[in-house]
Parts: sequence; C-alpha cells; structure tokens
Amino acid sequence: MATNGRRQVDEDDDDIIDVDDSSLQNNQANYAWEEEYKRSWDVLQEDEHGSLAGVVNSLQQAAKRKRQLRDTDPIQRGIIRHLFIIVDLSSSMQEKDLRPSRLSLTFTYLEAFVAEYFDQNPISQIGLIGTKDGLAEKLTELSGNPTEHIRTLKMKKFQEVGGEPSLQNALELARNSLIHVPAHGSREILVIMGSLTTTDPGNIHDTIAQLVQDNIRASVIALAAEVQVLKSLSTQTKGTFGVAMNEGHYRDLLFEVIPPTAVTTTKTSSNLVQMGFPARSNESAATLCACHNKLTLGGYICPRCNSKLCDIPTECDICTLTLVSSPLLARSYHHLFPVENFIEVAWKDAAATTACFSCQKSFLSPHKVSLQLQATTDAGRYQCKLCDKTFCADCDLFIHDVLHNCPGCLSQPRRLFGKPKAMATANIPKATVQK
Amino acid sequence: MKDSTINEDDPNLLVIVIDINPFEWEHPSAPLSLNEALQHILAFMNAHLAGRHDNRLAVIASHVGASKFLYPELNGPIPGGRVGTKKDANAYQVFKVVNDAVQSGIAKLLQDPRPALEERDVGSSKIAASLSLGLCYINQALKSDGMGHVRPRILVLTVSPDSSSDYIPIMNCIFSAQKANIPIDVCKIWGKDAVFLQQAAHITEGIYMKPSDPRGLLQILMFSFLPDMYSRNYLYLPGQDQVDFRAACFCHKKIVDIGYVCSVCLSIFCSFSPVCSTCRTKFAFQPLLPSARRLGAKAGASNPGSPRPSTPLPTPS
Repeated sequence: MATNGRRQVDEDDDDIIDVDDSSLQNNQANYAWEEEYKRSWDVLQEDEHGSLAGVVNSLQQAAKRKRQLRDTDPIQRGIIRHLFIIVDLSSSMQEKDLRPSRLSLTFTYLEAFVAEYFDQNPISQIGLIGTKDGLAEKLTELSGNPTEHIRTLKMKKFQEVGGEPSLQNALELARNSLIHVPAHGSREILVIMGSLTTTDPGNIHDTIAQLVQDNIRASVIALAAEVQVLKSLSTQTKGTFGVAMNEGHYRDLLFEVIPPTAVTTTKTSSNLVQMGFPARSNESAATLCACHNKLTLGGYICPRCNSKLCDIPTECDICTLTLVSSPLLARSYHHLFPVENFIEVAWKDAAATTACFSCQKSFLSPHKVSLQLQATTDAGRYQCKLCDKTFCADCDLFIHDVLHNCPGCLSQPRRLFGKPKAMATANIPKATVQK
Repeated sequence: MKDSTINEDDPNLLVIVIDINPFEWEHPSAPLSLNEALQHILAFMNAHLAGRHDNRLAVIASHVGASKFLYPELNGPIPGGRVGTKKDANAYQVFKVVNDAVQSGIAKLLQDPRPALEERDVGSSKIAASLSLGLCYINQALKSDGMGHVRPRILVLTVSPDSSSDYIPIMNCIFSAQKANIPIDVCKIWGKDAVFLQQAAHITEGIYMKPSDPRGLLQILMFSFLPDMYSRNYLYLPGQDQVDFRAACFCHKKIVDIGYVCSVCLSIFCSFSPVCSTCRTKFAFQPLLPSARRLGAKAGASNPGSPRPSTPLPTPS
C-alpha cells in the first residue's frame, strides 16, 4: 500500500492571522514544520489611548465577514442526497493526538453532524459503515431517520476498535448500497480515516474506477496525515480531501460536507419524483402499522395504498411511494433563494443611519469615532442592495446563517422588490451551468 | 413535557406582532373594531410587564405593505410630536410609555396610505416581515444577555388571511424559531384558520387559538397566552388536534395528496410537466415510477445477472 506520511497545511485553511505576506506566498512549497513561526500578536497595535479595543473589534468583524461571505449563486444543488459515512475503527483510532481520543472525538462530532445534516438536508439519507480487523460492517442502513443513527452512535458496542481498517471492503459495501438509489439523488461517501495503512483483498484502484463510473463522490477526512491513496480517491471521484490539524479544524472539515453540493456533473439526471403527502390520522383504537407490524394509535396514511406508517419522511413499505410532509420540503427552500450578501457601509456614509433596522441596536455615530480609529475599523453597518436597509454585524450574520430572509425586503410593498426580480436574476447562472 | 432548564425566576421577553390590516379591521362584518381590540391588547401587554419587574416587551405592527417596530421605538432624533415624555401621576410610567408608543405608532402607520396602495397583494399583511424583525430582535436580546436567562416567545395576533407568496419566508422564520427554541403563539382573532401560522405554532410548540367570540379577546389573551415559559410546563394548554400538512402545488396552488416533486429544487407540481417552472430544469420525458426506477438502477450497476440480455450494457473499456 502506498502510504505517504506527509502532513501538509491546506492553503485555504489557516485560521491564524497572517502577519507576513512572504510566508503566505511560500506556504504552498513549505511543510508546516518548515514555516516561519507566525507571531499573531504583532498585529495588535495600541491606539493613542493605549487601548486595544478598536483593533480587536476590527479583527472580530473581519473574522465574522470571512465566514459569512459565501456564494449566493443559486446554482443547482443536489438536495436529495445519499451519504455513507465510513468510520475507521482500527486500533490507530485510539491515538490521543486529538483529545480525548480520535475515536471518541469522532463519535461526538458525528452525533452533531447527523443532527445538523438532517436539519439542512431533510429528505436525504445517511448510512454508517465501520471498518476494523480487515473487514467492513454496516452499522446502520441508509435511512432518513436521525434518531436511529444517533442511537447507534451512542452504543458502546460499535465503539470497539481493533486491527487494521479495510478501505476497499468498506468502499465496496457502500457502493453496493448506493448503486440502487434512484438517479436523481446524489451518491456520496465520506471516509474518516485515522490509519495510515489499509488491508485490502484486491486492487483498490479498480474500486476507485468503479466509484467514478457509478458517479459516486467520495470525500476523505484523514486524521493522521495525507495518504496518497486517499487523496487520489477523493480527486478522482471529485470529492474533497482534508487532514485534520486540530479538534476545531476537524469539526470544520466535517461540517463542510453538510451543505448540499452543487451539481456539476451532467450525469445526474434531474427528474420529477412522485411523492405522497400523507395526513396524520388519530384513531381511537390501535391498529397495526405497516413498518414495524406493531399496534399503534394513529400514524400517517399512505395516500396511494392506504397503509399506515409510524413516521415520515419514509418510503411506504407496501407501495414504495416516498412520503414526506410539506414543511420538510420547505426546510431546504432557503438553499434555492439565498439572501444576497450585504455590502459594507463606509464611515463617510455612516451618518445616514443611526440604528440597525431589524434589532434596533443603535450604531456608533461616526462623529464620536476618531478619524484614526475609523481608518482601522469598519463602520459595522451592512446594507442590503435590494432594499437599502442597514443592519448591524450580528443581524447580518443571523440573517444569512439562520434566518435566510431579509427583513428589509420583506417589510416593503411587494411591488418594489418582488420575487420575480430575484428569480429572474437567479435563473441566469443556472442556465449556463447546465450547458 | 417539562423543560427543567427553565427557572421560575427567568425574565420573559415577549414579542407581540399585531396585524393592523385596515381592510380586515374595517370590514363591515368585523366583530371587533381595531380600537376596541387595542384596548384589550394594551391591557394584556401591561399584564405581561407587571408579571415581573424584568419582563421585556417588543411590539411590531404588521401592516399591508409595511412592517414596523412600535415598541421599543427607534431611538433616532426625537421629533417634536413624540408623546410619553410628560409624566402622568395617575399612570404607572412603564405602562404609559408602552401604551403611548403603540397607539401613536399604529395611528401614524394608518395615516400613511402609501405602502398599502403600492402593495400588489392587498389582502394580507406582512406577517413574514414582522416575524423576521422579531427573530432578529430576539437574537440580539439573547446575545446581549450575559446570563442567558431571558426566555423569548413570539405572539402573533392576526386577522388577515394567508398570503401564498409569504410561504417560503414564513417557513424560514418557523425553522429558525424552532432551532432557537422560540415558541410562536398564534391568536387568529377571526376569519378562516391561518394554515401557515397553524404550522408555525405546531412546529415551534406554541399555542394556536381561534377564539369562538372575538369580543372576549382579553380573556383569551390572559388565560392562554400570558403564562410564562416556566408555568407552561405545568399547564394543560390548548392544543391542535388536526394540522394540515398537505402541500399546495406551485402551479395551481391546489392541495395535493400525491404530487410530483422536482428533484433539483423540490418544487411541487400536481401534474407532469417537461420543464420545472421554478428552476428551469428540463426533465426526462416520463416521471420515474417506482418500477421504472428499479430497472434504471440495475442498468446503471452493470450487473451481469440482470435479466436484460437483449440490450447491450455499457461496459467500461
């Protein structure tokens, strides 16, 4: 097995504030241990009153903005996703370089990951695969029920480790389940690998070629170092690859997988899928449900075959109709109509507004801030391009990360801003992507 | 369900959204005038503020074509006509400030006909905008609350029918409220059930009520919506037995049981169409039926055992 014990710093992932530009340019050539030490405290300069508040403030604002300037291009996203998570359960997961140990950190993060994944991808599915002692084992089948996955993740039985992982066995296991999913859904694998080696029964490059052919995207998070075979797996299948540098970075890498990925391949056929919207029924007497064959009071009635199911979203066990509820579908609409990024207001235009439109917090008046401080900080006002309303940094973040509505645009008569305008512009990039 | 994280001493933040849609309030069949209802609502607000010394309140008006904070007011340059600066010996100052701000704010909104005239969809008010404003306000209040004790909730008092164009914004509000554990209580004072707000109350575990007699509004408010988050653990609150979760199709706004969903943007249609009207995706000619789906999956898997020898399978070279 070709292993390559390099540990490179990803170019775009340095969380440390860059002081020296030259070190940034050399960054790609150097290994992490060859880099010059970054002295992050050098950027902190006292102002004339000997206070650090202004600089710290502007650094915080910059960090907020960096996270928040995301692409608002409404490209097509694969919203119906099928994801297998392959977890390495080999003895190398007992290493304690990530606290408390690679294994327990992975399981803690995965629990949060599953919850967040289903929050953002409500009609998608997840399956879990563990690999140890040269074998791969399915911990959970592909399903859309988060409670089941979280319960499995909490079980101690599955947290036993031992021996070597087998990447090929795990990939084949995932592939065999994924090739049966309908073509309109995306097929993805996420590999979390702590080991530098794998024990495989055959040629792993054949498996990778198969994955490419079946249009399965595999992303890899390595916990130890960059391993050549993992890297080539992710590049060939158009996935992402990352090496976790520390606990926080590991979490970031993992959570990057959550937003639905843009559809770039023309292979995934889009289609109209038949779905049922069952009504909830309350019964006075218990009847058998079709999913567990248990006596239950109330449930959801499949509109096509009238069988009773305990929970939605699910696939009807009798007639295989996908059953969802309309709020579940609505959960992912914000991916389709993202809020435009707000523009920063400069200090010279800052006097026009005195308070944030949405939370009523009053802004710092530009007359009370010295010119010198104005040069180093920004005004903390962010303006929506469509409605010209001004918001504070907290609301800006909240609107784009959580709410996905612009309160200013909504508060206007509908004729002025209007969905038609937003949607007309939304459609232009889409058409180009499709071609 | 008892939430043990809530303490009896926690201050409550109540954000009230008042629908002041004049087309509904001034309708000849309206059982209650806005002025009368406002007296009830002001009494309720005062009761909330009287409950604890550190209880907080925000009031947002949802008008046709506009949505605005009534209390706390924007602390901009104070115009000469601002009321409430004069002390009244017979009134508790906190109540007086709130009452004056709400009354004058509503009067000011109703005197300006512009937003209502420019609005295309005159039937309904800006509930989604008011909810967004309220959520931003709560977000800021929670952030500035160092102790983390403030218990926020939202109460929507509405008379207008749902506006279908508000569906996605309202849904976005519901999900962010659900994430932050903010219940959205809804009192539909009269008229047909508000389906979106019914879902809002259901998803965020709030209370949805439609009083049988709107003239007893104060009683409904006091008994159902005044209890704070702590007391709610011990009360048997009015619930909803039936919530309509069926979807309306995007093409004809028809309620559907079985619909066709675009796999790219999840728009719902009642019949098959070759191009998605929302995201302009072109579809394959026939919708995938479950049987066809299974065959397609097998063909893609290049499974040599599949019983279809007549068509040559694409084999990798």
